[in-house]
Amino acid sequence: MRALLATPATGRVLDVQRLGVRFEVQDDVVSAVSNVSLTIDAGEIVGVVGESGCGKSTLAMAIMGLLGSTAHITGRVELLGRDLAGLTVEERRQVRGDRMSMIFQDPLTSLDPAFGVGDQVAETIRAHRTVTPAEARARAIGLLESVGIPAAATRYSDPPHRLSGGMRQRVVIATALANDPALLIADEPSTALDVTIQAQLLSLLRDQRDARGMAILLITHDLGVVAQLCDRVAVMYAGQLVETATVEQVFRAPRHPYTQALLAAQPSAGLARGSLRVIGGQVPDLSDPPPGCRFAPRCPLVRPECDSPPELLAAQPGHSVACWADPATHPGAAATASSTGAPRGAAA
Amino acid sequence: MTTAATTRSAPSHLTRLKRRTGGGEALVGFLLLGMLVFIAAGAPWIAPHDPEAIATGRVLGPPDLGHLFGSDALGRDVFSRVLYAFRVSLSVAIGSVILAALIGVPIGLIAGYRGGRVDAMLMRPLDLLLALPALLLAIALIAIIGPGALTVLVAAALIYVPILARVVRGSVMVTKQMPYVDAARARGVAERSVMIRHVLPNSVGPALIQGTVLMGFAIQIEAALSFLGLGAQPPTPSLGVMLSDGRDVLTQAPWVEIFPGLAIAVTVLALTLVGDGLRRQLDPRGMAR
Repeated sequence: MRALLATPATGRVLDVQRLGVRFEVQDDVVSAVSNVSLTIDAGEIVGVVGESGCGKSTLAMAIMGLLGSTAHITGRVELLGRDLAGLTVEERRQVRGDRMSMIFQDPLTSLDPAFGVGDQVAETIRAHRTVTPAEARARAIGLLESVGIPAAATRYSDPPHRLSGGMRQRVVIATALANDPALLIADEPSTALDVTIQAQLLSLLRDQRDARGMAILLITHDLGVVAQLCDRVAVMYAGQLVETATVEQVFRAPRHPYTQALLAAQPSAGLARGSLRVIGGQVPDLSDPPPGCRFAPRCPLVRPECDSPPELLAAQPGHSVACWADPATHPGAAATASSTGAPRGAAA
Repeated sequence: MTTAATTRSAPSHLTRLKRRTGGGEALVGFLLLGMLVFIAAGAPWIAPHDPEAIATGRVLGPPDLGHLFGSDALGRDVFSRVLYAFRVSLSVAIGSVILAALIGVPIGLIAGYRGGRVDAMLMRPLDLLLALPALLLAIALIAIIGPGALTVLVAAALIYVPILARVVRGSVMVTKQMPYVDAARARGVAERSVMIRHVLPNSVGPALIQGTVLMGFAIQIEAALSFLGLGAQPPTPSLGVMLSDGRDVLTQAPWVEIFPGLAIAVTVLALTLVGDGLRRQLDPRGMAR
């Protein structure tokens, strides 16, 4: 089965080109993800940040091929150089859990309550490798130990509810690592856990990346997690990427007004009580998004060009932004900058 | 000291047993049901008399030590007859639910899991069955295949297939939305295995509860049909037939009527208690215990 996809010499693990996902809900068409392009190389951790409902999880599910028949997918997803759309249903199954795997948000519900935790790891191995049950069991115990579960052999048959949340998420990580994937998609892996456990799990993910050299696509709304763990960041807003850059670039010099607002909205310890910064306005309705830039109704730098959609363009090496007001990608933009600086929504 | 230790450990055993079975009443139900199954299985050895032996000297004899439940209009021992009749009733009850589960559970599982057109194709005919009154359906079936305990079993199963299929379908539709089902798919588990290994075990709980309740109903259906003369045929003793016979002598010899009726009541009670216990045991809110 490993022959299906082999890591190419370039080290490019995932190449997403102009991915779009539309859902037809009754008479409405909701475009949850539009025109997303993203690449990840082996050993890289790329964060996708954005607020709730911006399409992060849909993007992850689309890459995994787990969206139901109500989803219409456009664009191209290449894993290890193979276009996943060209695979049969059975080939896609063989890829899932083997070459790419996924960690879900809630460890409390992403393990089957009727199964022993070790069995779920062993099942993942047996879905992809021809091994005897005893071999699968031995490997599963080894994996559970490697993700830091003490006395894994005695824990093997315990149902998930006997384990704490942090331990359960470790089991989930063990199932995801079971077949040494080239790509691990982690959808808010630490959101449901408390802060100390969060930190442990994030360092576990980093260690596993270092040991295995796999690529990680980390989906989160937590910029702190991004800063700790990621090499590169893609900022998503209303189903589109608005900025991609290295972590350094994003935190030092964010280019997109949304990214800037998002960073400014991070609470810090020194902040006076009651002075939390917020981004005014609301996320647009994705069944009827603004025709141009989707952030325009909330943007302080809004200008006439914003009525047509901006392209994601390179402002400098490794740093791309989709904004008409960005001086590097749209020279002369500064000259026409709106003098009021008031968001359009507020003026109307 | 030792006595103190034993008296303290004794209730903890009971507590554990209670917890495992889902509460005190359920424990009573399980014990009662176990006893009833034991009695049904051991009827030939327990029964003091031949249930079909007619004794003209003991017509409508009242209960005494030799004949615990008295004797009926033909002098037959009511206790022995209740034991044998109960055997038939319980076999029909258990058999009909098992047969119905073998057909209904897979239908409900596939219909609920696949949804859409498959669901409609599988469930619409069953809804049609559900629309017909249960007893009418059973009587129609008996009219076709002829009366007898086996027919009653098949008829009850036919009534139960749509009920069990619906219950399973409903819980499958809830279970398949659970994150662990998506997670199993994300691990590359094949659809069939996802359905059988992950969705089914997490969906059978309600059907199990429904099954025990339906067994209680089956006892009643069997009794009702036999009462009407459509079930087990004489001389095979049947609780329904006995009720029907007892009705004629109710004022002279109430024991002929009372004891078969009691047997039905106790069995239904035991099954209901067990069903209740299972429900409490399988309640997802009880999972974290």
